[in-house]
Amino acid sequence: MKRHSAVRVAAMAAAALMAAGALASCGSGSGTPAADKESKTLRVTLANHVWTDTVKSRLPEFEKQTGLKVELSQYGEDQLSDQYNVKLNAGTSEIDVMMYRPLQEGKLFAKNAYLADLSDDVKTNKEWGWADFQSGPVLATTYKEKVVGVPIITEQEVLYYRKDLLKKAGLEVPKTMVELEAAAKVIKAQNPGVAGFVARTGKSAAVTQFSSFLYSFGGDFIDESGKSGVSSDAAKKAYAFYGGLIRNYGPANVSTDMSWPEAMAIFTQGKAGLYTEADSLYKNATDPVKSKVAKSVGFAPLPAGSSGSKAYNIPSWALGVNEASANQANAWKFIEWATSKAMTLEIQKAGVPGARTSVWSNPAGISTYPADLAATIAASTKNGVGHDRPLVIKVPESRDIVGNPIVVAITGGDSGAAADAAGAAFQKVLDAEK
Amino acid sequence: MTDTATTPPAADRTMAKGTRRPGQPLQRPTLPRRRRKQPAYPVFRVVVLTLTVLLFIAPLVWMVVASLKTNVDIYDPDKTFFFTPTLDNYANVLGRNNYFVFIFNSFWVALCSTVFSLILGVPAAYAMSRFTMHRSAMVVLMARIIPGVSLLVPWYFIFANLRLVGGFGVLILSHMFVALPLIVYLMMSFFDSLPTELEDAAQVDGLTPIGAFLRITLPLSVPGLATAGILSFIFSWNNFMFALVLSGANTKTLPVAIFNFVSYASIDWGSLMSAAVIVTVPIMVIALFTQKYVVSGLTAGATKG
Repeated sequence: MKRHSAVRVAAMAAAALMAAGALASCGSGSGTPAADKESKTLRVTLANHVWTDTVKSRLPEFEKQTGLKVELSQYGEDQLSDQYNVKLNAGTSEIDVMMYRPLQEGKLFAKNAYLADLSDDVKTNKEWGWADFQSGPVLATTYKEKVVGVPIITEQEVLYYRKDLLKKAGLEVPKTMVELEAAAKVIKAQNPGVAGFVARTGKSAAVTQFSSFLYSFGGDFIDESGKSGVSSDAAKKAYAFYGGLIRNYGPANVSTDMSWPEAMAIFTQGKAGLYTEADSLYKNATDPVKSKVAKSVGFAPLPAGSSGSKAYNIPSWALGVNEASANQANAWKFIEWATSKAMTLEIQKAGVPGARTSVWSNPAGISTYPADLAATIAASTKNGVGHDRPLVIKVPESRDIVGNPIVVAITGGDSGAAADAAGAAFQKVLDAEK
Repeated sequence: MTDTATTPPAADRTMAKGTRRPGQPLQRPTLPRRRRKQPAYPVFRVVVLTLTVLLFIAPLVWMVVASLKTNVDIYDPDKTFFFTPTLDNYANVLGRNNYFVFIFNSFWVALCSTVFSLILGVPAAYAMSRFTMHRSAMVVLMARIIPGVSLLVPWYFIFANLRLVGGFGVLILSHMFVALPLIVYLMMSFFDSLPTELEDAAQVDGLTPIGAFLRITLPLSVPGLATAGILSFIFSWNNFMFALVLSGANTKTLPVAIFNFVSYASIDWGSLMSAAVIVTVPIMVIALFTQKYVVSGLTAGATKG
């Protein structure tokens, strides 16, 4: 009898749960806003970023102004990318505004017609001022002469250095690649357990930070004729130099799988004297909660190579409108608000470099930045190159190819031969995309 | 039932006490040899066990230790073991980021998908076992063979058109898709191991076939049900891929929400690790307390026929 009643109770509980679950499912299902024409609910998908945090805190103002309700979804960089791959591929209309990486996926998204043409929208409101946006980033969000995105966050490569270690060595901040190598050598020799130089070493992760070395040595991933430039003499010199710096003056037993979190950790633990990295990460080095060397960090433009100091100046993120969205007019309203001069100024003050010239020339726009970093960014923006990775559709594959000689150079192999092999492989990718 | 299966028959027991069978003296000489090996064996056993346990536990220990450190200390090799512990990370996860919502979401989806899968899967498994429906069983198994990622785009397409994406319903359905075959196969082998004579006897006593299933077979299958339920719950609790695409802002489950601490230009390792502890601990506790069922359920029917 006991068993029977136990079964009965279990069955009843299961039935109750089933009913409750079904109700909950229906409830949340019908709660999902319909993709009706010009819905009052705007679906915005953003990446986890300080930019997003600031925008999120100001959303109620936007909702009050427009009477719209914003439904915000927020994801990590890779998860956001995976989402887009599935959802946009299925032709979703459930995303209205999308935050995307113009250089990583912009070309692919534009080619697949995932991004709506904003060419007319950007010209409508003169006060908002499309002309105010830096030309390099604008180029990266333009596809076949159509504007498909508005750049929101820019990034330059800069030199992070330890003021105390350079002072101890009696050296000035390196202005050329030769001085950089000499300084790295002295720091390593003077300070046991401290590397002279550190930077990303992972095959794919290092490509973006290596790019500025490549440009400063006179090379590029794709040459003027549209062919692979990876096996050029300039590129071979850049590979050997970047890899050599880490091999000779980098941390002991350096891993060849480091991205920024690992390289930054070595620098912020006080285990390296010089470090080339994106300026957007500067708070990791200057925040005492995250860095042991917060007080002694300095910033300088990338040292000049044989062709000068040519750091990249790129839009790392932009906002676009989903082509399949039925709510495009409202989506534009959101972009116009989030990229307005006032919002850009506020976000930039929170530590996120924006793409508006007027905000950079406004003293308030650089008031929260370390003075040397602000000066460095101003200098890098002038000579900046508008890309930090090969501008192709298959970006991840290409990064693996052109990044391989970096690893070979770090491990002491023949980076020249590796560059030749990478050049041939990269040319195949270029040919296939023609 | 299980008692009769594990206890040796009376004849065997008396034999173990010393009754000799013809040919048994031949085994005797092996005994002293075994004794000679004894000193080496326990050492080997302890070393291998310690290494294995360390291998599995080290990442978990690191995770727990890191969750009690500040972000600067996590990277500091000098503070690997000796540091000033802080509960700030947990306060950040549970307080400022309100992870209770995600814990509830994960729990609700796992519970519903497990219960519904059991309700559908157990009768199906019974039918397939008793009426030898091997082809149907193969069809069910196909769901496990197809890689989940290849289903995501069509699923998203269908569910988006049904306006279901972002709700609990679609998450529960997607998890059931994977849990059902697991339950059906586990329960099939369990039912195969139960003698049909019991049901025949019940029917002779006046029960209908369904009555016999409900009153005789099902109560005897509790270990199997527990195994299937636990494994299905664990799968659902840990699932990341389906939840990433099919959940909405309010229905995110824990494995997806954990990535909130990974930003483009900063990673909050301390909070990430404390969130990881919060995801791992409930499932470890469940697994520890129920491992007896899982093992007995998994091996049920393994020695049949």
